Amino acid sequence: MPTPAFMHGNQAVAEGAIAAGCRFYAGYPITPSSEIAEILSERLPQVGGVFIQMEDEIASMAAIVGASLGGMKTATATSGPGFSLMQENLGFAVISEIPCVIINVQRVGPSTGLPTRAAQGDVMQARWGTHGDHPIIVLSPSSVQECFDLTVRAFNLAERFRTPVVLLSDAIVSTLREKLVIPDAADIAIINRTQPNVAPDDYKPYEFLQGDVAPLPKFGDGYRFHVTGLVHTELGYPTEDAEIISRWWEHMSSKIEDNLDAILDWEEIALDDAEVALVAYGGTARSALHAVSLAREQGIKLGMIKIRTIWPFPEQAIRDLAGRVGTIIVPELNFGQIRLEVERIVAGRAAVRGINRADGIQISPEHILDVVRGLERVP
Amino acid sequence: MTLSAGLSYASTWEAIMDIVARVTALRGDAPQPVVLSSLPELPPQELGGRTISVVQGPPGRNISLAIGLKAALPNVPLLLVMNADGITLGTNHLIHAARRNIGMTVLLLRSDVTQQADQHLDRMRWEVLGFQGALETTATPLEWAMALQAALVGRGTLEQPDDLAALISQAFDTPGFSLIGVTYASHLEMGVLSRTDYPEFFDSYRRWSASFRNLSDTAPKGVGVTVTPKTDIRRYEVRIVGLGGHGVKVAGTVLSEAAGIGEGLWATQRGEYGSATRGGLSMVDVVFGCERVSYPGADQPDLLVALSQNAIKLYGHTVKPGGYLVADPDQVDILPEGALPVPIVRIAREITDNPITAGVVSLGCVAALSGMVSLETIKEAVVKKVPFKVREKNIAALEAGYQATRQVM
Repeated sequence: MPTPAFMHGNQAVAEGAIAAGCRFYAGYPITPSSEIAEILSERLPQVGGVFIQMEDEIASMAAIVGASLGGMKTATATSGPGFSLMQENLGFAVISEIPCVIINVQRVGPSTGLPTRAAQGDVMQARWGTHGDHPIIVLSPSSVQECFDLTVRAFNLAERFRTPVVLLSDAIVSTLREKLVIPDAADIAIINRTQPNVAPDDYKPYEFLQGDVAPLPKFGDGYRFHVTGLVHTELGYPTEDAEIISRWWEHMSSKIEDNLDAILDWEEIALDDAEVALVAYGGTARSALHAVSLAREQGIKLGMIKIRTIWPFPEQAIRDLAGRVGTIIVPELNFGQIRLEVERIVAGRAAVRGINRADGIQISPEHILDVVRGLERVP
Repeated sequence: MTLSAGLSYASTWEAIMDIVARVTALRGDAPQPVVLSSLPELPPQELGGRTISVVQGPPGRNISLAIGLKAALPNVPLLLVMNADGITLGTNHLIHAARRNIGMTVLLLRSDVTQQADQHLDRMRWEVLGFQGALETTATPLEWAMALQAALVGRGTLEQPDDLAALISQAFDTPGFSLIGVTYASHLEMGVLSRTDYPEFFDSYRRWSASFRNLSDTAPKGVGVTVTPKTDIRRYEVRIVGLGGHGVKVAGTVLSEAAGIGEGLWATQRGEYGSATRGGLSMVDVVFGCERVSYPGADQPDLLVALSQNAIKLYGHTVKPGGYLVADPDQVDILPEGALPVPIVRIAREITDNPITAGVVSLGCVAALSGMVSLETIKEAVVKKVPFKVREKNIAALEAGYQATRQVM
């Protein structure tokens, strides 16, 4: 039967990784993500997996790409400074379509910043951190339960779409201790990469499928192919042929864009009669949720959308919201990274305001309520 | 390039494919190597074809990528072909792969090889990389690898491709990290230059980790079945504010588990506080109730326990109307009106000789005042969360805090 447990967010991420089938972790410890490495260093050997502490985050990212190519489900965990170092090899994973999961527990940056303090300043880095246009999937948990559930989902999406997936946690959620329910293993949906059913000579490791990906066999095991960081043909060989490159782009883009129903994930709360809506994610969503509850007690018609898949962004949900409420407020621990996205989509059809801080202190529910009350005075 | 043995290679890649073919021929049915290349030159498709698996990874990083591949494919030989990147971008990775003796074979192509290949591959001589020219020490990666006790360090020349192939095959058979310098020269010492008997990393790792597998390999242990909450109170906020050394974080851990598991309530313990924790204060927020906890902060506590004057000053006014403020009269200058005086730190000192149990004494106040988390469930949580040798004293401190609070209620 499902097991209720009491743990912090980082532990739930580690347990989610094990449940999802992760069997290789390479990383370099950094606050506030270190518990993930610490716990997996004990848990992975118990399930026949491999844990290795690398010399740095560049190497960590390279190692999880290598192990995934060899057929394992792999992950690394870090915070902002390490995430910056990972961008080079993260881009290699994107272009070579190798599934893997990168957990970034956000703290205040840039640089060393405020090492123990929570922030949400890596939203755009998670989208565009590695150079060049590229598809990516980014998930954001706001509870210990979601730390478990979204970690499993991150592995599933990585395997399904042969892409790196970033789990963008933060120091609020990672250090929060609360109850979660771990489902029975049989009740956890697990997706594994598909295996080719053609002869090795007919296998196209990078077939340019519309909205889908080619199977990915274990490297060096019968199916021989070429893996490169260069733009390549369906067989994986480098090319500079513009016609081929255009078909490659179409494949890379459509594998995400054609599958938004399977990737996007958000929750609508108290929106039926709402006049004002909050759009929140990660640790800040907890403050927003409480603000909605306090507002309703006071007769204020406040609702919210909690975003769990940040990238790709749930554009249609926000577009619909703009037609339902007069004002959208985006509280976040940065200076408006998601607010700008919301403004772009709303395109003037509703007023958009931000509540922003990046000083390491959480946005309080009262702060949000003050802004909502202030709207009545300043239309 | 024209070689003295009458061989000629049109490109570095052609040379590499020829050597790999010789290695494969030597090894018969043994698993074929995976090649990882970071040469700026592209491997021609017609050369590689589908006869070999190649990773053309980011310069220098192939060494780390190979560590992951090795974990997944322990029986497949990994052959890394590097030139300057191996000892520039890759030096950090090379050092750690060598000192850990992770099973891979790195071919480090000397400048004479790559330059002679007429592909203008090598943009610098890697033996001397800096701007000071002759003033700098020449790079000697083979000596570095020996110093790091790599399993096998050797040198081969394209002049003698069969000897080089034999050396590579020997490296494949040697557990651990191998570095082979490949040169075009003929005046240097060739063959194995150094060998270290050293366990292969992933084999030794597997042996070590096997000892864990007798332990539970399932999800974390269950913590009992949730009972139906005995309360209809939706949300109850507790904030305990003391100084470093008062054990308030442990108290939060005990209380949140007592509420969340023992009482079957929804419960949170906030972990990250930001600079809200000031002036040497140590603080913990625990929120519980019959409803799932949204915001985990106790910004308007139903019960505030203050163990310093600063705590009163910063948070005394935040207590919810009808809520409780417990203050330690020995630790504050002025006892606020309506505050319940409980000498928490003195009790901790008297019973355990250590103020670190002040947090647990405070939980006695919570048991007496909250009406939601009982003394018994907190005791059970103490048993689970506090080390055995101090368990009895902690339970005595908890009970003393409970009794002292009852007396002033």
